Order: sequence, then structure tokens, then C-alpha cells
Amino acid sequence: MNAMVETDIRVRGAVETRSERPKLSVKDFKGRVDPDWCPGCGDFGVLAALKQAIADLGLHPHEVMTISGIGCSSNLPGYINAYGMHTLHGRALAVATGAQLANHELKIIATGGDGDGFGIGGNHFLHTMRRNVDLTYIVMDNQIYGLTTGQVSPTSIKGMQTKSTPFGSVENPINPIPLAIAAGATYVARGFTGQQKHLVELIKGGIQHKGFALIDVFSPCVTYNHENSHEFFKQRTQKLEDIGHDPTSFQAAMEKAYMWGDVIPIGLFWKRSDLPALDELEPVLAEGGSLAHRPLGVSPQAAKALISELM
Amino acid sequence: MSVAVAKAKSDQSDVYEREELLNGCQAVAHGVRLADVDVIAAYPIRPYTEVMDALSKLIADGQFDAEYIIADSEHSQFEIVKHASSVNARAFGGSSGTGWMYGMEALVVTATDRLPPLFVVGNRALDDPGAFGVEHNDAMAVRDMGWLLCWVTTPQEALEHVLIGYRIAEDKRVRMPMGLAMDGAFLTHSQHMVKVPSPEAAKKFLPQYDLAERRLHPDNPISVAPQINEDWVMELRRQNWEAAKRARGVIKEAYKEFNDVFGERYSAPYYFEEFMTDDAEVVLIGIGTVAAPARTAVRRLREKGQKVGYVNLRWFRPFPTVELRECLSRFKAVGVVDRDFAHGSPDNGGILMHEIRSCLYPAKQRPAIVNFMGGLGGRDLSIADAQKMYDITQQAAKKDSMDGFVTWIGLRE
Repeated sequence: MNAMVETDIRVRGAVETRSERPKLSVKDFKGRVDPDWCPGCGDFGVLAALKQAIADLGLHPHEVMTISGIGCSSNLPGYINAYGMHTLHGRALAVATGAQLANHELKIIATGGDGDGFGIGGNHFLHTMRRNVDLTYIVMDNQIYGLTTGQVSPTSIKGMQTKSTPFGSVENPINPIPLAIAAGATYVARGFTGQQKHLVELIKGGIQHKGFALIDVFSPCVTYNHENSHEFFKQRTQKLEDIGHDPTSFQAAMEKAYMWGDVIPIGLFWKRSDLPALDELEPVLAEGGSLAHRPLGVSPQAAKALISELM
Repeated sequence: MSVAVAKAKSDQSDVYEREELLNGCQAVAHGVRLADVDVIAAYPIRPYTEVMDALSKLIADGQFDAEYIIADSEHSQFEIVKHASSVNARAFGGSSGTGWMYGMEALVVTATDRLPPLFVVGNRALDDPGAFGVEHNDAMAVRDMGWLLCWVTTPQEALEHVLIGYRIAEDKRVRMPMGLAMDGAFLTHSQHMVKVPSPEAAKKFLPQYDLAERRLHPDNPISVAPQINEDWVMELRRQNWEAAKRARGVIKEAYKEFNDVFGERYSAPYYFEEFMTDDAEVVLIGIGTVAAPARTAVRRLREKGQKVGYVNLRWFRPFPTVELRECLSRFKAVGVVDRDFAHGSPDNGGILMHEIRSCLYPAKQRPAIVNFMGGLGGRDLSIADAQKMYDITQQAAKKDSMDGFVTWIGLRE
């Protein structure tokens, strides 16, 4: 068993110490499967921006893991050349937390939709932010359940008519931005697939940030949401840097987070770097690298010492 | 031929309002409308999704009035249904595959609280890997939990079993949740001509839901599900056990009453139906839409002079032990078709085979049994597949060996 672990370490070491480290381009991150999204879906823009951000940061596929739940957007890990895991509906952040603690040297990117993340996975959303787990969570927010063909979602605006709300939704939607700020996320941003370069920079900032980064992305559903369309957001979204904003001010962040009307801000709402991420609070991870790169278990010597101490 | 065929008597011609093309999901939605359900909780997952969409449409079109609540997950959805049922509202829910499993905690307590809502399960394979096609393990997961569980094979039966299901579940002698299962895609999304009963006829058949002394209401202050620890759990299990036993009789009553209103729609023993079995030597038995290719195969093999038949098992819980034992003892060999799996179980068979073999153990005359695993994950079970299964079962009648007891049908090797 030990021999197997050591062999594994040698193989990994060989990758890590490779002297030449070529810079990869977006093409290198193209997955083997083409997306099955509808033509014109906003999710294409998120996938493109994510690949661009990873390439710009000089990361390699083996240094990145994408993790998703269930939904149209949650198919993303199949469309990108990196480690990937397609998990259960709503569970992406739980799996991502496990992956992050097992290998905190990986860049963990959780992806999914508004129903997956804010509805069925709402509890994980809160607790992963509260713990400030070092990962980037990109939500492709189209304000509808698309894969099941158009039912109301937790971010559907009040009054929205869907297959499941024929008289209009009577419920208030979740606004993930103030929720994330209040819950303890340390990097909170909103992007729009119609602003690609801006989105790439937000994602890069999120990946580089040590702690929980939420990037809620307006990713319009061309098939089932005709209210919150590309055109809708194109007319209303304004960059926070153009409006004027200090993302280190809690009060300013909360004020901007509640703006929704003729002007809908996009950009970095909130960032703080003074809080430790969960893995930084774990003494076992403080030295010796990630758990994934260490032999696991207790050595016979350590076991013997422990038993003699206790017996 | 004992397949249920509508033979409405002349004075029963007005029990149907119209005939229209409906798929399984839409037929269930009409059943829910005709059962005058009070509270619907919904959360989308295919293939069940179309049931909630069809109900939403009925409400939007002004054909139906009910509370329609969109939950944030199946777990919440099932809890809403359960609690609605406890305040004496007729309640309806449904799901498929992993969604059904995600709400399992709520499904278990609905049964232990002895509440009688009806849930439709559009059978779907369990992830991983992601798959949408039919497998029966999702619905089967409640088989030991104190649920009523039955499968239908046509949209007509689907509609009718919403009414029949509530009739049985809500009976004072039963009060168990009702699982109405139907094969994903093959039934949920295939259209048939469906005779839609009139609201008057439905009302005539299905009495008002009355939880009586167990109704949670300001006028009837009770506690639901208090902590009782080891003091009373065993007695409650026994009550549930007795209810499941009593349900066998109530099921028969319900079908008879249904026939009284709608004509001779269903024939005894109701729990299952036999097709060309009168002089059969070898039969297949299965659940759900596999009945279609199996019946066609029977007709074709009969033309060649082979004495084969098919048994379609409708009710799985309670299991029709005595009736099925009597039925299957008549044959030389029985091939059990499992659209489910029970990995590592005795002889590596499927769930249905185990139930049937257990049911036959006390029989004086036991047929030979073989098991087929087929149609998993929505793979088609063709007429040729059914003929192959008959062929293998006929051979099993002649040999005395467990070799090749389980055959995987349509497997790529």
C-alpha cells in the first residue's frame, strides 16, 4: 500500500517539477464534448470566459477542477479540459469543499445554475460562504429552470409567468449578492455574458482571491426566459467602476447590491482579504502540502507510540 | 383474454365526459383534477415534470382549482404534501429517480405518520451516471416503508388509478401513502386515446377525504409524530403492518366499486392481470410497459402453437401473495422480468424475482423460475427480446439446474 502511494507521489512530482512550463491558450482547455446548450445560450459566454481566465492566469488543466450539480449549466465540467466532477442536484459546493480540503493546491471552480445553487442547494451555499472555503463559485443565473423546460426558479422576478407560475410568481426572488456579502463570502461579484472581457477579469479575480468567491453571472436563457433576455441586461447593466464604487466598503457594497431597475450594476461589489480561508484554519494543512500529495494513514511507528501512550 | 376492457353498461355511458389524446403525465393530471385534489406541491425533474406542467395548465385554463406550491427541492415538496395531508387536505406530489430518493426522508415519515397523499413516480434510472430512462429502483425504494405501490401500463389506467389510489389510501382501515408508478418515457410521454370521466362520476366513486380524529386542526388539537423512543415504536410498526394487510381487502373493494360506476373496467383478482394464460405452460411476469412487447410476443408464439402467456403485475405493495401463488403454481415455468436491480442479492437476481420466488416457496406445486434483467436505464425491450425470454423460460421448464438463472437481455458484451 505504501509503495503504491510513493509511486503516485513520484508521478505527481514529475509533473510539478517539469522545467519547461508552456503557457497554454484557450484552445488547450477545449473539452472533448461540445456543449448541448441551445444556440445563443448565455452559458457559452461563461464557458468561453472561464477558459480565457484560466489560460490568462497560466494555469494548466491538472491544476484546475470544475465541479457542478445538475442543470443545463451544470454540464459545464464536461465541456472543459480540466479535472471535472458532475455531482448531485444542489451538491456542487459540498463536493467542492471536500475537494478543496483534500487538495488545497488545486484551483476549485464550482459551476451551476440559480436553481441548483440557490434553491435545492441553498443550504450548502450559505455554509460554504460562512466557512470562507477557498473556491470560485460561478453561477450561470438565468432566472429559470431551463433543463426541465421552463419552471420558476429562486431568482425568477416577482410576477414572472412560467410554466409553473401561469398567473405570475407571487414570491420574492433571492438576491444572491447581498446574501453572499452577509453570509461571509469574501469576494462577491456579478457579471453579464454580454460583457465578455469584464467577465473574464471578474473570474480571474475570483480564482486569484484566497477565500470564497461568488460570481453571479446573468446568463440569459434564450428558450424559456423571454423577460430577462440579453437585450434586457444590455440596456440596464452598468459597470460598478463606471458608477463609482468602493468594494472594500460594506455599506457601499450592500447599497449597490440592492440596486435593481433601470440600472443594474455588474462588477466587484465586495472584497475583503483579512479573513482566513477554511484550509488556512486547518493545522494539518499548514505544512507538508496538500493531503492528496501525502501518504495517508498512520505509520507503524506513530501507531506504536500512540498505543504505548494510551495503554 | 382477461385484459381490462371498457364495457360500459348502457346506463353508464355518461360516466365519461370525452375522449382525448393524452400521455401518461397528462392523464395523471386529469386524474388529480377529477379527484378534486386540494394541495399540489411540485418540483421539476423529468420525466415527472410534465405532470406538474399539465396541472399548472389545467389551473391556468380555469379547469381546476387547487393550491399549487412550487417547492425549492423534492425534500420540501414532499414535506408540503405530507403536512397538507395531515390537515385533511387531499394532497398530491410526485417525482422521478434521484429526486424521489432525495426526498426519501419525507417519504418515510409520510408512511409512519399514516397519511394518505398520492405521489406519482415517473420511473427513472438513478444517477450516476446521468440518465433519464426508466428503471424501477426509484419507486421500489419505498417498498418496505409502509407504502401502497402500484404500476400502470396505459394513460387510461394512470388516470383511473389516481382515483382508485386515493380511494384505497384514504380508507380508514388503510391510511397509507400511495405510490403510483409508471415507466418514464414509455408511459409518461406516450399518448393514447383516453376516456376522461365526468366529475360527477369521479365524485360518485371517490368519497371525501376525512382524516377524522387524526385531523390536525385548531378544533382538534393533537400532536403529530411526538418522540416516543422505544416505548411504542414496535406497536406502531405493528399497526402499519396490520394496515398493509388490511389494504389487500380494501383494494378489491375499491376495484369493485370502480366497476360499479364505470362498467367492468377491471377484473378479479385486480392486483394483476393475466393475458392468454388459460392453457399456458410457460409465462413471463413483469411490471409496467414491458407488457406491450410481451403480449405481442405471446400472440406471435401462440400462432406457432406455443402455450405461453403473460402476467402483468399491477400491485407490488401490498404484494398479492395468495392470489399470485395460486396463479403461478399453474405453470411449468415462470420467467420474471426485472426492470430493476438488486446487486449482490440471492442468486444475483432482481427485486421482483425475489418477491415472486418467496411468494411461491410454500406452494405445493412450484414452477421453475428464471430471471431476466432487461430494459435498464430505458433501454428498449423489443418483441424479439420478449420472444427470446419465452424461449429461455421454456427451456428452463425442462432442466433442473441453476445454470444461467439470470439472463441480461439486450446487454452489449
